[in-house]
Amino acid sequence: MAHSSVVIEARNLAKQYSINAAVVSALRGVDLRIDRGEYLAILGPSGSGKSTMLQLLGGLDHPSSGTVRLLGTDLADLNDRELTRFRLTTIGFVFQRFHLLPVLTAVENVELPMAEAGRPRGQRLARARELLGYVGLASRAQHRATELSGGEMQRVAIARALANEPALILADEPTGELDQATGGQILELFDRLHRDGATIVVVTHDEHLAARAGRQVRMLDGRIDSDTHG
Amino acid sequence: MIGRWAARNAVRHPIRTGLVVLGIAVASALLLDMTMLSGGMERSFENMLLSRGFQIRMSPKGTLPFDTEATVAGVTPIVAALRSDPAIAAAGAAVGIPVHVRKADSLVTLVGYGVDPKGQGFYQVLEGSDLAPGDSAGMLVGAPAAARLGWRLGDTVRLLGRLDPQSAEAGIERLMTVRAVVRWLYDSRDQLSVGGPYRVVRAMGRFVDPDPGSMIMIKVREGHDVDSVATRLAARYPGVQVNSVAALVRQFRNRLVYFQQLSLILATISLVVAVLLVATILAITVNERLGEVAVLRAIGVTRARLVGLVLIEAAAVTAVGTGLGIGLGLVTAGWLDDILTSFPGLPAAISFFVPEPAAMFRATTVMIGAGLGAAGYPAWLAARAPIALTLRSEAE
Amino acid sequence: MYLSPVIRTFSLLIQLVAQSGGDPRSPGIAVEARLAGRWGISVGDTIAIAAEAAGPAQQRVVEAIYRGRADPATALRGELAVRFHLADLANLLGAPDRVDRIGVAVRPGIGPDSAAARINQIGFGFRAYPSATIASESSQTFLVVSRFHQAIGFIAIVASAVFLLCIMLLKVEERRLDAAVMRMIGLARRTVFLAFLLEATLLASVGAALGAALAYLATVLTNLFYQRKFETTLVFAHLTPDIVLLAAALSLVLGIGAGALAAARLLGATPLALWRRA
Repeated sequence: MAHSSVVIEARNLAKQYSINAAVVSALRGVDLRIDRGEYLAILGPSGSGKSTMLQLLGGLDHPSSGTVRLLGTDLADLNDRELTRFRLTTIGFVFQRFHLLPVLTAVENVELPMAEAGRPRGQRLARARELLGYVGLASRAQHRATELSGGEMQRVAIARALANEPALILADEPTGELDQATGGQILELFDRLHRDGATIVVVTHDEHLAARAGRQVRMLDGRIDSDTHG
Repeated sequence: MIGRWAARNAVRHPIRTGLVVLGIAVASALLLDMTMLSGGMERSFENMLLSRGFQIRMSPKGTLPFDTEATVAGVTPIVAALRSDPAIAAAGAAVGIPVHVRKADSLVTLVGYGVDPKGQGFYQVLEGSDLAPGDSAGMLVGAPAAARLGWRLGDTVRLLGRLDPQSAEAGIERLMTVRAVVRWLYDSRDQLSVGGPYRVVRAMGRFVDPDPGSMIMIKVREGHDVDSVATRLAARYPGVQVNSVAALVRQFRNRLVYFQQLSLILATISLVVAVLLVATILAITVNERLGEVAVLRAIGVTRARLVGLVLIEAAAVTAVGTGLGIGLGLVTAGWLDDILTSFPGLPAAISFFVPEPAAMFRATTVMIGAGLGAAGYPAWLAARAPIALTLRSEAE
Repeated sequence: MYLSPVIRTFSLLIQLVAQSGGDPRSPGIAVEARLAGRWGISVGDTIAIAAEAAGPAQQRVVEAIYRGRADPATALRGELAVRFHLADLANLLGAPDRVDRIGVAVRPGIGPDSAAARINQIGFGFRAYPSATIASESSQTFLVVSRFHQAIGFIAIVASAVFLLCIMLLKVEERRLDAAVMRMIGLARRTVFLAFLLEATLLASVGAALGAALAYLATVLTNLFYQRKFETTLVFAHLTPDIVLLAAALSLVLGIGAGALAAARLLGATPLALWRRA
């Protein structure tokens, strides 16, 4: 049974893809435990399996073998509807290419997960505005996603990830599309989130970002090569 | 919120959406027209026959009323017997003959109907008053004849009958006064017709049969079954053809096989066009938005909700298109009806395209159903999009 | 001389058609192939025939089985015919020396209009019409049907034009990224436009050819179905080169036009804008 402070526990996690006739092993038996309040960076070269790892931890994909327990729940025990609900309420995602919905405004993008969770309109609007203030974009609330700069879009994406007060934030290359200065602002935002008690897992190949995380896990060929946690 | 996303997406490509709506509008217009065509003429025929409430026709064996010059012999006792039948509310005989009038130097030929106002089911008075009992000089004029010959209420006209085809001399002449302008229910468009008292008009024709009539119309009393009355009369008068309106409609339906099949084929084609249009456009649109779909799934939007959104989008686009299509369909139906009702000899009261709410409802329901069906594949695409794979390919 | 449809309806709805010539004392009849096939009648059979459903029947020997000329005016009614010697039918109907219509062939050099006018001057109790007048009057129905088909065809063309425009628009939209790349590496707008136009032409040509093949197949199936249904050799659908050419020309004009419109719209944007929207 998982310890109460454990957010994620992955055991013997493996993932294979079929590409044409060939089978590619993206993950080859990974064990990983992440505790509440940890700020963890997963590093590694392209093809090392770090993004696959993040997707399996977030329930976006199913492992070929092994288990992922999130807050003590084995993700394999959930059907699609339950897993979707789990993602909505428990995990906040931040993607490399922001993936905001272009036809919605900044505030609407942030409201979206709360609307899905069934929060009343007034409540979710207030929280969306508060979160946009938190990421420094209160003045851009009514701008459509397409009218924002890359850094602004990523900050809106972070606000969206925080909307339902998730137990875990998963970020995949959050500075990958940004210049150094803008990327720096995002890193500061993550630092602040961590200080405020969020559990964060960031996949990156950016050593600056990784250095700011309390724990670094390095991956190579689908395996964990090193883990500063020991 | 997600509804807002779907609604804004629908107008994200206004030209594309506009074209889809237009395509659906044209397809629905065709579907509506074909729905009206498939049953319109039959219903219009039935309405025409029942317009005065007479549900049974007796006519010479092997003919339709006024189809030939054949007559029923001895109609007077038959009508008297019918009027005394407790199941029959009204009965009346009618006769049709050619009559003529002189206009300037030429001779105009008209159809002359001998009618019995007590039991007639084939004209409606538009202006003036119907023939009174005992009025032997009164005349009813069809609107086209009144317009063509310039006749007005109260005019006196010399009607000629039994014309010698060689000398053009009339065997009989009658001075008649126009009492009413009427609509002859079975006349073809612009047919020139007049009517007068049954015995007066009959006396102006040449007949082989004694006491002849072209048709007897019967109105069955409420509470009596029309078909059983018709069967009883057929057994009582074996030399005469007895048809209920329902039976005549059945016979008429067999003549309409071409239009029924054409409407079926064209309605199918219009549905196929609409389905292809909706399916293609939505499949492409969903594919374009697959990244957004994957993000929505990632942040916790269920598959059912995405399927619902695609279906709602299809239903909305189809509903708007169909709404426009119904209007367009009514306009094109008028145009097509003008073409088809120019069939020679077709009664003016018959329409091929009858704009009934039921037809509009059926066309709308079928089209929206087809739109929803067409959205099945795009909805499946949206629901089945693999989140991780899609996000990965979006990031590349 | 020819006596044409004298219609009396049997209880079995047989249409009787009389034919002149032959020996009126020989009570032979000719039965239409569809009727013979349906009732299993062969040459030499004797059948009973009555003019009225309740009237007395008379015996006739089937002398021939014939196939009636395919006539669009009657084919769809499904009426079946038996041919009699003229005098025989007139006697059977109890109306000797009475006919519905008399056919007259004029000598070479004499116009049918003037012959008809002359007959009308001297005739008594009937009217003569030149065949062309009757043909024109009886073809009115088909002219109306033809106008109706043209109207339906027009609506179908509008629907296909919208469909085609939609597809072409999407097809070109799909090429947004290609257009952006081509423009960014220095290809002239005109070159990219021509490339799209060529693609639209190819697509429209292949579509038109496939459409013609599909139409041919539909024609064959339609004729097969209706010829079987109405037991006739009438051609119900006829795909002529004119129709194929018209359809192909329309497809090409609409397809290329739609492609050009969509391409022009796409190439109105800057390469960078295209890239961003791709």
